[in-house]
Amino acid sequence: MNQADVRIDTFKSLELYRESVRGHARQTAKIVRVCCGPGCIPKGARRIYDLFRKAIDDAGKRDITISLKGTGCQGLCERGPIVTVDPGNIFYLQVHEEDVAEIFRETVLQDRIVDRLLYHDERTGAGIRTSQGIPFYQGHVRVAFALCGVVDPESPDDYIGAGGYAALAKVLSSLSPDQVIDEVTQSGLRGRGGGGFPTGRKWRSARDAHGEPKYVIANGDEGDPGAFMDRALMEGVPHAVIEGMIIGAYAIGSSHGYIYVRNEYPLAVERLGRAIGQAQKMGFLGKNILGSGFEFDIRICRGAGAFVCGESTALMASLEGRVGEPRAKYIHTVESGLWGKPSLLNNVETWANVPAIILNGSAWFAAMGTQKSKGTKAFSLVGKVRNTGIIEIPMGMTLRQIIFDIGGGIRNGKTFKAVQTGGPSGGCIPEAFLDTPVDFDELTKLGSMMGSGGMIVMDEDDCMVHVAKYFMSFLKEESCGKCTPCREGISQMLFILERISRGEGEPGDLAKLDGLADLLAGTALCALGKTAANPVLSTIRHFRGEYEAHILQRRCPAKVCKGLFFYEIDPEACKGCGICLKQCPAKAISGERKKPHVIDRAKCTMCGTCLEKCPFTAVKKIV
Amino acid sequence: MPIVNIDGRKVEVQMEATILDAAQKAGIWIPTLCFHSSISHLATCRLCMVELDRGDWKQLVTACNYPVRRDIVVSVSSENAVKARRGVMELLLARSPESEQLKELARRMGIEGSPYPNVTESLRNCILCGLCTIVCEEVIGKSAIGFSGRGVDRVVTTPFRQLSEDCIGCGACAYVCPVGTIQLRVHEDTGEIEVSPFKSRAKLLVCEECGRRLVSEPVNKYIMEKVKIDLAEFRKYAKLCSVCRRKKSANILSLGTPMNDDDRKTENIKCQK
Amino acid sequence: MIQPDELIEQIVACYDEQVGMLIPMMQDLQAECGYLPAEHLRRLAQKLHIPITRIYGVATFYASFRLFPKGEHTITLCLGTVCYLKGANRISEAIQQEFRVTPGGTSEDKKFTFSPVNCLGACALAPVMIVDNEYYGGLSPESAIEILHNIAKGKKPPREDQQAEKAKSVGKTRKAEKAKSVGKTRKK
Repeated sequence: MNQADVRIDTFKSLELYRESVRGHARQTAKIVRVCCGPGCIPKGARRIYDLFRKAIDDAGKRDITISLKGTGCQGLCERGPIVTVDPGNIFYLQVHEEDVAEIFRETVLQDRIVDRLLYHDERTGAGIRTSQGIPFYQGHVRVAFALCGVVDPESPDDYIGAGGYAALAKVLSSLSPDQVIDEVTQSGLRGRGGGGFPTGRKWRSARDAHGEPKYVIANGDEGDPGAFMDRALMEGVPHAVIEGMIIGAYAIGSSHGYIYVRNEYPLAVERLGRAIGQAQKMGFLGKNILGSGFEFDIRICRGAGAFVCGESTALMASLEGRVGEPRAKYIHTVESGLWGKPSLLNNVETWANVPAIILNGSAWFAAMGTQKSKGTKAFSLVGKVRNTGIIEIPMGMTLRQIIFDIGGGIRNGKTFKAVQTGGPSGGCIPEAFLDTPVDFDELTKLGSMMGSGGMIVMDEDDCMVHVAKYFMSFLKEESCGKCTPCREGISQMLFILERISRGEGEPGDLAKLDGLADLLAGTALCALGKTAANPVLSTIRHFRGEYEAHILQRRCPAKVCKGLFFYEIDPEACKGCGICLKQCPAKAISGERKKPHVIDRAKCTMCGTCLEKCPFTAVKKIV
Repeated sequence: MPIVNIDGRKVEVQMEATILDAAQKAGIWIPTLCFHSSISHLATCRLCMVELDRGDWKQLVTACNYPVRRDIVVSVSSENAVKARRGVMELLLARSPESEQLKELARRMGIEGSPYPNVTESLRNCILCGLCTIVCEEVIGKSAIGFSGRGVDRVVTTPFRQLSEDCIGCGACAYVCPVGTIQLRVHEDTGEIEVSPFKSRAKLLVCEECGRRLVSEPVNKYIMEKVKIDLAEFRKYAKLCSVCRRKKSANILSLGTPMNDDDRKTENIKCQK
Repeated sequence: MIQPDELIEQIVACYDEQVGMLIPMMQDLQAECGYLPAEHLRRLAQKLHIPITRIYGVATFYASFRLFPKGEHTITLCLGTVCYLKGANRISEAIQQEFRVTPGGTSEDKKFTFSPVNCLGACALAPVMIVDNEYYGGLSPESAIEILHNIAKGKKPPREDQQAEKAKSVGKTRKAEKAKSVGKTRKK
């Protein structure tokens, strides 16, 4: 971790500085990277970092230099903590504190591999040395995340050495604002926060809008449960977001920027804050950037706990010191946004793509992806899949490829049931559509949406009615309450879903849910309300049978909804130990010692205690 | 100036006028609840939905705040628009089943009752339109009441749900409330006006001549501060009801009671009005 | 203990009295006092020349603001989709029942403030909670209750095979925030 005190005033001095950083780096013999991303930190990554630090410092009398970096997310969160060693990109997984000494001794000091910490091929058992060989990483193309997991997020030198701020220099030295907008337009970049609006077009509108000052805003309020790509990005490559924003500000003629980070991401706030401070010191932010005369600065604001503040007008209300209530978008925010002035708001992932597009060219970006969805997209692949983590892949990869090739299929030998995409504005997609390519438009045709990139994989043990109920109750809590259809309509839908999951469903319920969904989509004030019914609609569309089982037969086929399935003791497996009998709060179990026990359904309250306590897994759920 | 084709009738409106303006000009009724001409658009109730014909697709928009910037075609009576307004009213009736004003408006729209059960709690039928809060903020300038909470827990309340120090008992909130949630009550025994349900009370002034009730004391004080005329005579008249005030002026004029300078000045001001 | 007037003066000065920075000001106030005392909020309204009604609205809209003091330990339980599917709501119910506390509220003995949130972004550890800046993952209702009882007794909960790690505090002190200069620019 290094703090740069040098100020970079010209394009030339930036290049010289970059060369000096690289020259310095060439003297490094070994680089140890400890992943300090959202998945690895809770598993003890910082302690591992500290142990490596001590090991390197203690081995002072060596004649090679070893660089230690705590990096952003390496991707395969399921198998963290992750440690890599270069040269060779040796990839170690599930590293424990006790392993540090061995890795240091064998791999760092002596170029030997610690085989047991490698990924092992499922069929052959062979150890795979680098990430390139690991199935999870097949097909990855890192654009926004290119430097995430590579650079130390707290080191501006690392970022510069890896090519950081070269895009900014190119823009300020040789491109006009119009040229920048053209480049972004031709790349086909669309908003990565979920809306998918063509970014170049938005920038053009902001540039053409009247009013001063203009504002540039980064939306870091990633609220979709299950999505943490933006968190990984902000924590892993904060400078990429900043660089993108400076370029955007230049393009539209703005000198004021904000990054809005949700309150629940304190590390992202800290890292971005530190990066902004470094950028200010070095001259990338502030007056006369790189001697170009262009001036721009950024301020961070934290959210205060409201999912609705991910919506652009609510976010801006929050920046004005108000409650996060959306307003009508008949007049767009590029025309009248923050303080009634032209405001350019983009998601942090969108901003992070900009430097790469400028450096590599719009054609390079447009060559990836599908016809209408260019480039790559980051996803958080989570849930019942074997390999959970952060991925960045070209648009157009199919769900099957993502879930089964990259994700490694369903864990614990269970069967795939659905994948939930798009958060509370999205929906559940069943097996029949696994070969659908993932992009902005294809998933929408199925009643879901790609959204910000959360992908939650579900298996046979997940009840779709239960899932719909979860999203409805989430939205009920997060609705701002301003408009009638969202506030009342969501409550009505949740009421019906709760009745259904209690076994009190009525024949007209699905039609009622449909009608309410229609009403919400047409009359709600903002996107939260308009799309609120998607989880319900998509599950009714693709899993109607499951709903009908709940309503007409009072059965929950997935055996989740309490009261809609039964507990039964398998007489073959039961050893008659009597634990369940003693634990049952309703005294519904009877039986003699060493003889199979029986549950009296009439008395059973379906609390599930017997199943939890049985040491022989003799208690089964049946439906 | 843009032309709005509304249900077949064409009217010309100012740039940035709303669809509701156009409807009023065309003589077409659109039901509203949270709309009032004296305050900024709220567009919270979503009752005034109309259908905008954009050629290859149609969009439901709220008439009260949609700005007309070019020629547009709007349908108030299309199936989608009628269905949308019905749906919103049914949700409101489910929330606030006891409001006579709401039921009356529903009847006017051809709606009787709601297919939905009551699943959210409203404070005395409040529909959270926001008119009371915005009138208090923008027109009266006191912000004695406001929204607190979020979602279904949103309520109109005084800060910290304590007795308001800012309420002047003017009753503007009760006046604009479209569903009768806010009521003014006069307490005969204490001579106070109460704004229910906020429990704010204010002493009512009485006419010095006949004892009839006037405005609340804080309103009187508030107006005096705003008006900033420091005439003793003006203050004398301020404590009379309109009837007694007219009587006093009439007496002065008809009986030829010599006017002093102050009286004359006051008369002049009144004539200039 | 610093007087309300003086504290508000300091906080407001930090943000150049900009009304748009109301939420950061309230966050700083809560970091200093542990919650948002009414008296301080009224003073803030006066200083910024905005109605107290507006500040009260903001204080009650955002989930992270507390109008009452919090307990000795804050339980932040994740109720995001993945955690929910792995039974987080049963853990929530168990905590509510065992410690007699409602979501957002504080137990009567002032030991615990229970603050469920919608997604901590640590889905690989689901179900997960943070107590006193330590992550506890892979929870069940029983293990969560046991951990909490240990914390209440002042015992460090037993280390599982997965290593818990200190997360940065959410409510930093105002001074610490200022020192780290979270992107604030001083206008000359």
